[in-house]
Amino acid sequence: MIFKDKIAIVTGGTRGIGREIVLMLAREGAKVVFTYVKSAQDAQALMQETEALGSKALGLQIDVRDFEKTKELIEKTKSTFGGLDILVNNAGITRDKALMMMTREEWLEVIDTNLNGLFNVTRSAIVTFLKQKSGNIVNITSVSGIIGLARQTNYASSKAGIIGFTRSLAREVAAYGIRVNAVAPGFIETDMLSGLKEELKSKMIENIPLARLGKVEDVSRAVRFLLSEAASYITGQVVVVDGGLAIR
Amino acid sequence: MQDIENDIRSLVAEIIEKDPAQIKPDARFVEDLGVDSMMALEILAGIEKKYKIAIPEEKLAEFKTLDSIVAIAREYLSKNA
Repeated sequence: MIFKDKIAIVTGGTRGIGREIVLMLAREGAKVVFTYVKSAQDAQALMQETEALGSKALGLQIDVRDFEKTKELIEKTKSTFGGLDILVNNAGITRDKALMMMTREEWLEVIDTNLNGLFNVTRSAIVTFLKQKSGNIVNITSVSGIIGLARQTNYASSKAGIIGFTRSLAREVAAYGIRVNAVAPGFIETDMLSGLKEELKSKMIENIPLARLGKVEDVSRAVRFLLSEAASYITGQVVVVDGGLAIR
Repeated sequence: MQDIENDIRSLVAEIIEKDPAQIKPDARFVEDLGVDSMMALEILAGIEKKYKIAIPEEKLAEFKTLDSIVAIAREYLSKNA
């Protein structure tokens, strides 16, 4: 158990990649606080599942767009589990549309959740990390933010923003024993993709050198590595987990 | 109470790597002593540890002189007493 007794926060923890990261951390012995917006039932089920793994998790209904709430998230984590060691910024949404059809609301909603939300949570946590001179942050970005994808100008912009944020913060806080990295998943089998037609999916697979969609475990393993001691000399990096999709 | 001022002066001196005698009570941290935001945070954390008190990070903006820091420390010491 490589994260035994570590205390972690995962935003957007009840579904897809976030959920798998919560379970991975629990399996490795960490105590996890995760946030969710809608799915209270899923949150309950996840808390039970982590308990069955012999760990503890606490789900909090917090919208990362609300800065005051993200401050509460940090305080609640520290008062419940007694500290904070790991932050995984995973919460994200899509509102895919061709730019000519995209409303200003659809643009803002994605930027506000994916990028401003990441600022809110990280800003709230960073003083704790700086004071204790340790901390470990992994931000979930996307290949969309690296190569760009049609109908995702909003999402790709938010995800490219996360990469700039990751690199800048990594430089800023390295002297304080804090590492900041990102993981960029490609096409992963989650709810985010479930709306796609089968033929579109097979077309996507044709563009992936490793010829399959990714699994959430493919992503959580990369997060596990970056959070572990094995990555103690790695900061400011983006690990792309995409079956080769974004090879340049 | 004089002790608090002297203790905090030594703590600040150590963090900003200056001679304690150079830190006059009303010397401006940023302009006169070259204190940056990270040093200010270290000063805050140092005071919290020394006196076992919690000072909200919002107070960092008020860390302008030795005098102001001593006043904040006293405020939170009395609150925790």
